[in-house]
Amino acid sequence: MHCHLYIVVVGVLVASVSGTFDNINRDIVNKKIERKLDVSTQLVKANTKITLENSGSGAVRSFLLVLTKEEQDNLAFINAQIGGTNLKLTESKVQEYRDLVFYKVELKDALQPSKTVNVEVEMVFTHLLEPYPAMIQQGEKQLVRYKGNHYVLSPYTTTTQTTTVSLSSPNIETYSRLKPSAHTDTSVTYGPYEGVQGFSVDPMSIHYENNAPFLTVSRLERVVEVSHWGNIAVEETIDVLHTGAKLKGSFSRYDFQREHNSYSSIKSFKTVMPASAKDVYYRDEIGNISTSHMRVLDDAVELDLRPRFPLFGGWKTHYKIGYNVPSYEYLYNAGDEYILKMRILDHVFDDVTVDELLLKIILPEGVRNVVIETPYPVEQLPDSLHFTYLDTVGRPVITVTKKNLVESHIQDFTLHYQFPSVIMLQEPLLVVVAFFILFITVILYVRLDLTLSKDDATEAKMRVSSHCELVHTHHDKRARCYEKLEEELQKLKGSKDVAQSQTSTKKLQNSIRDETQIINDLASKIRLDNSEYADRVLELQKMDKILRECVTQQLVNVEKLVAGKMSKQQYMDTDGPLHKKKEEALEKIKNLLGNI
Amino acid sequence: MSAPVLNYRTRGWLRMSIEKQDTLLKMAVLSLAAVLSFSCRLFSVLRFESVIHEFDPYFNYRTTKFLAEEGFYSFHNWFDDRAWYPLGRIIGGTIYPGLMVTSAAIYHILNWLNITVDVRNVCVFLAPFFSSLTTLVTYHLAKELKGPGAGLVAAVMIAIVPGYISRSVAGSYDNEGIAIFCMLLTYYMWIKAVKTGTLFWSTMSALAYFYMVSSWGGYVFLINIIPLHVLTLMITGRFSHRVYVAYSTLYVIGTILSMQISFVGFQPVSTSEHMGAFGVFGLCQIHAFVDYVRSHLNKTQFDVLFRAVISTVAFGGVLILVVLTALGKIAPWTGRFYSLLDPSYAKNNIPIIASVSEHQPTAWSSFYFDLQMLTFMFPVGLYFCFSKLTDENIFIILYGVLSIYFAGVMVRLMLVLAPVMCILSGIAVSALLSTYMKQIDDVKADKKKAKFEGNYFMRSEIATLFVCIMSVFLVMYTLHCTWVTSEAYSSPSIVLSARGHDGSRIIFDDFREAYYWLRHNTPEDAKVMSWWDYGYQITAMANRTILVDNNTWNNTHISRVGQAMASTEDKAYEIMRELDVDYVLVIFGGLTGYSSDDINKFLWMVRIGGSTDKGAHIKEHDYYTAAGEFRVDKEGSPTLLNCLMYKMCYYRFGQVYTEGGKPPGYDRVRNVEIGNKDFELDVLEEAYTTEHWIVRIYKVKDLPNRGA
Repeated sequence: MHCHLYIVVVGVLVASVSGTFDNINRDIVNKKIERKLDVSTQLVKANTKITLENSGSGAVRSFLLVLTKEEQDNLAFINAQIGGTNLKLTESKVQEYRDLVFYKVELKDALQPSKTVNVEVEMVFTHLLEPYPAMIQQGEKQLVRYKGNHYVLSPYTTTTQTTTVSLSSPNIETYSRLKPSAHTDTSVTYGPYEGVQGFSVDPMSIHYENNAPFLTVSRLERVVEVSHWGNIAVEETIDVLHTGAKLKGSFSRYDFQREHNSYSSIKSFKTVMPASAKDVYYRDEIGNISTSHMRVLDDAVELDLRPRFPLFGGWKTHYKIGYNVPSYEYLYNAGDEYILKMRILDHVFDDVTVDELLLKIILPEGVRNVVIETPYPVEQLPDSLHFTYLDTVGRPVITVTKKNLVESHIQDFTLHYQFPSVIMLQEPLLVVVAFFILFITVILYVRLDLTLSKDDATEAKMRVSSHCELVHTHHDKRARCYEKLEEELQKLKGSKDVAQSQTSTKKLQNSIRDETQIINDLASKIRLDNSEYADRVLELQKMDKILRECVTQQLVNVEKLVAGKMSKQQYMDTDGPLHKKKEEALEKIKNLLGNI
Repeated sequence: MSAPVLNYRTRGWLRMSIEKQDTLLKMAVLSLAAVLSFSCRLFSVLRFESVIHEFDPYFNYRTTKFLAEEGFYSFHNWFDDRAWYPLGRIIGGTIYPGLMVTSAAIYHILNWLNITVDVRNVCVFLAPFFSSLTTLVTYHLAKELKGPGAGLVAAVMIAIVPGYISRSVAGSYDNEGIAIFCMLLTYYMWIKAVKTGTLFWSTMSALAYFYMVSSWGGYVFLINIIPLHVLTLMITGRFSHRVYVAYSTLYVIGTILSMQISFVGFQPVSTSEHMGAFGVFGLCQIHAFVDYVRSHLNKTQFDVLFRAVISTVAFGGVLILVVLTALGKIAPWTGRFYSLLDPSYAKNNIPIIASVSEHQPTAWSSFYFDLQMLTFMFPVGLYFCFSKLTDENIFIILYGVLSIYFAGVMVRLMLVLAPVMCILSGIAVSALLSTYMKQIDDVKADKKKAKFEGNYFMRSEIATLFVCIMSVFLVMYTLHCTWVTSEAYSSPSIVLSARGHDGSRIIFDDFREAYYWLRHNTPEDAKVMSWWDYGYQITAMANRTILVDNNTWNNTHISRVGQAMASTEDKAYEIMRELDVDYVLVIFGGLTGYSSDDINKFLWMVRIGGSTDKGAHIKEHDYYTAAGEFRVDKEGSPTLLNCLMYKMCYYRFGQVYTEGGKPPGYDRVRNVEIGNKDFELDVLEEAYTTEHWIVRIYKVKDLPNRGA
């Protein structure tokens, strides 16, 4: 990117400063020039068709275009083409005409002697139309004056030329006449003029009504923030100035509301955004601007922006507009190589003129080897860093700026960069680690005891609670044994294998006994600190004993049943009450445990 | 035939002991209350946008922005030439910086962590954030007073009490938003200090007090109620070493710290408002000394000594106080404090204090509106506090009784009342519920016992009924609070909204329209004259110099503006030339029916204008009709119909049709056809009028050329 720009900048510098002068090739003749001047908006758009002829004997490789200093200062866009292919343009100088500015146009194919070629030159000028009078009252119509040249300024002799000026309205105050000239409806035609010498000047002046909005964007800051999580956020900060005739005297709201066609003021304008734009916002330093309407069309999102107040001549406003677009429409990649293709300048309103554009592209953290390519020369400012959510080393920001832009500058830039996809994991990991540290700190803090003196009461309480916790654990183990015992019981009923059942039940009963013993020990420990809880544990043990007896009894009964020592009826009679007793004991155990 | 399988396991997958369950429950309730108190303050952000509300918050926002961008020292030394033209204002020395410093600190911490939040959003969400903290502090305070149950109820109540929400919704960026938190924090620390008698808690309470002083002028309430508490403890014979340590530490450290705030300066040792605290500090020393002496003497000796010393000291003290006051060493009480003691004081003497609606005495209905069931639970809570008197209960009783008096004097002080209402109601509800819940439980456990106790008739049923009724009350309270918050306290007042004929919402964004116009389309150094209400908003949003603003410190200057508004055009022109005015801004509601416009405030301008020597020619009765009415129609007094304010509001309004079937120039606020219709302005020209005519801006014409 640096190289590319460098060449352009140096090229211009070399041509204009270091003093390589071009010569005017006397062999070239403008056989025919047709110029169309469009002054119906705030811009002056000049479209000139030149038929060049090589009247000499050598081949011609390039020719010159010429502008006055004033035109050069207001020139926003210049382009020359032959049949749709753009030609290379460079600014240059001619020794004899120091006060004029020349552009050297290089032809693709050299023009052979006595051959002709049609070149189309397009130029757009801003701020060339002068409101005259400079101040008008509210409700008055705006008159502007265009000053130019009846002849097309050219270094070469012109055989025949015509100029058509198209205006915005048929109301013309005055216009300069150089015969032959004609005024029809909304246009004035000059010419054809025959055999015009090079550098001929004859001042042209047209004073006419032009109520087109004279809105200038005095500064536009466009920030494009790229996220690799699928989103590109665009925000434009815009300063708008009404550069038409200034408002004279007072502004009357009454008149403004009564008259529906107030010529001199601008109530609203339309901004077109990409079709995929969403989450659109429109605000300024003091908050949201509630007066806007959005329309979603097939190929664009159209926003009807109404500034907080109508803009009269000389009034200005400032606002921000922003939206999100999905990144897949603009971001392409092959592995770690990425290309971002977006507009340098986007639509603000029709026939816009932007005095100064600042484009900032914020790329994700960890981006390397950034190269920007632009379709026309721009000035690149030093890269900077931007810090926002979860950033550690900062996001690289590419900044470019350019002065005096018009709609023809709405073109794409191409940004190449590398981004290792592993870095995508950095931010989620950061969050995980941060929360991990937070929880660890809390856990440690809660467990830390920084008191110098020993507090017996609290410690006793903590001991009791930890013992109670153990009682719960051991009781749970015991409960599991009971469950297994019940299972054995059921199994025995099916298998009728008393011997095998006895071995396993023995084991279970033993472990129940062990757990009971442990709980008893715990109870005595608890008694040292808190006898109330100890009593509850003993109560629990009592209930457990009842439960155990019942289960043992059941077991014996089943064994008897299996062995045939007991009738089914007898078994049923004894089992019923036992079951009930078990239920009661369990209920009480539950209650007791709830209170331990 | 197999028996049903029994469930031996007693616990589920989440094993927790009772303490843990208790902690979890408390944490859950508290954090829910904190979240609730934050989220229920966001109505206005969701309905409108994240924007600063009202008037004063705009000044706070502007200063915070300055502090965040320029740093503390330039903030401290800031001389603001945008306000009080041509006097200016030393911002650093005339504000309580606590609020700004807090939000600037939050802003810097967040940005240091690369959380890029702008200052405006920090300001908008500060008050809700601090009300979450208030919820937590309230829990701890009430816990100290009664127990965790009361704490939880109080916390939940304060989370949504409208009396507090009214000053702490998102966007209402005012001192009170954090001051209530500071106040309760100080109380909590104080209670802790009194309970424990340790230096640690006393110092903590002094620090909390310092934070309170740095953030709100209402700290004076605090520095009077704590000494009062100490005094009451002395009188009731509860004075102890704990109280001695707590108060002496708090007073000494607190006073020294509070004097570091440049706006407070030497006031703590020189004004009457602070003398009570100083006196009690002295009394503490004497009391402690007497206790010491008493422990070394027998009773008769002591009595003689005691009488002699007490009478001399009391006499001497009063004498010194009187002499110092007479000599002017101790400043007498300021107007606002007089109006606290005598509600009619302001009305008779200082119109500028009386003109502020929030300084009016409170209506009965607004007590119910702002507190609902708390109004009734408050005495119940007091009863429970009285039934078990402790040092800390005495404090809350004092706080409750005093603040209910002050809240009755000034609407604004409802804010101080709301927390104590919540705490006392929390105590009441918790005590009642725990009494009755036990009744429901007990019956199950020992039925036999209940049978013998014949004096309780249908014990469990009545208890159940009571609990149900209480739940209904609590639910009603919640509904009421939500309704009030959503309907009354959540409009930003900078953006007005109304319902159209078809039920759609119409937004009147005229204020910002006008301010933004001023900001971009007037010269950078233009001086704007408006009534003081809009001063802060103009400096913050339009970034232009203004003559008077909401910091009503200079009565004569405001009076001068009032005189200009109340005079005829030529007289006003002289005043405006004298004050170097470029633009005049008025608020006019006649087209939309916006009733708090300048014509309705006009009588205050006349009163304040006429309250100084220069404006002696402006007399209120000139602006009334012969029958003593204030009218803008044909019957209205000619003085009114020709004064500058009238002309600016109604310029060209006489041609406008506002309502069907009514003549042109029909004022929709006053509901009359205006009296003076076709007039031209000589010395002013209309510079801008907003879409709905709410804000009208006029440009003061230059002097005419001599030759012309």
